[in-house]
Amino acid sequence: MRITCPFCGERELGEFTYLGDAKPMRPAPGASEDEVYDYVYLRDNIAGVMDENWYHGGGCRAWLKVTRNTLTHEISAVEPAAGAGARQVAK
Amino acid sequence: MAEFSWEIRSPLHRALVSGPFGAHGEGGVTLTEIRNFDLVQVMARRGKAAEMASAANAHFGVAVPETPKTAGAAEATLIWSGPDQFFVLSKGGRHQVGSLAPGFAASASLSDQSHARVLIRICGDKARALLAKLSSIDLYPAAFPVGTAAATSMDHTSVTLWRGNDARDGQAVFNVLVFATFAESLWHTMLDSGAEYGVEIGHSEDLA
Repeated sequence: MRITCPFCGERELGEFTYLGDAKPMRPAPGASEDEVYDYVYLRDNIAGVMDENWYHGGGCRAWLKVTRNTLTHEISAVEPAAGAGARQVAK
Repeated sequence: MAEFSWEIRSPLHRALVSGPFGAHGEGGVTLTEIRNFDLVQVMARRGKAAEMASAANAHFGVAVPETPKTAGAAEATLIWSGPDQFFVLSKGGRHQVGSLAPGFAASASLSDQSHARVLIRICGDKARALLAKLSSIDLYPAAFPVGTAAATSMDHTSVTLWRGNDARDGQAVFNVLVFATFAESLWHTMLDSGAEYGVEIGHSEDLA
């Protein structure tokens, strides 16, 4: 499997580290225990297309949001994760 | 009272033995450690990438590389090292943190990496053959022309790789910046990879 880093180009899987589902968002301060429990522990087990966080640690050290089909490993989109590079944060 | 002497030594002080290595005959690869360089990493602060780029332009007189490339400035090379960050490679104290800091005070954070990295230059007939064993980057001349850079891994070690100006004999020159503590390991891996071609080992203080 190869991932096309938006900063570096196409690279081998060994340069990347998998974090997991990109969907969960940190609950607001003061959120209920259930919401925090959900955010920390509960994950969907998606058979199909999902957004995932990957880290290009063996390259430009940017966090990426990769849209991948978990059944076929087909990658349909790669974009910088929120906060990757100073420029993206500014938007 | 114990007496100390602080001696600046290359991280390859023990590993590097100048002379021929591996297959006999003419060296197919030349491995040269470049010593005593100044290296500063410049990283844009949050939302300040454009300001950093104009500060760099004002200071160096060239556009800072925003894609994996290098830019040649007067007595310095700017090397892309990731999104909104780059290295300043120079020698002789011309571009150190102290002199760069005022220009970037409002836009970027600077960090001195001069003693944190080892710079290895690879050239010769078999330079690409050696690197092909260590890197998945396509180094074919058309795909990786002079001035191309890459943040990548070799032998599971993060490196910054770029192609410098060709040598006087027209051969391609590849530069690898590696973390100092990983340098000895990568050096041995490079020697093992180059042994079949014959390696000419040396060190130099010449950045060009």
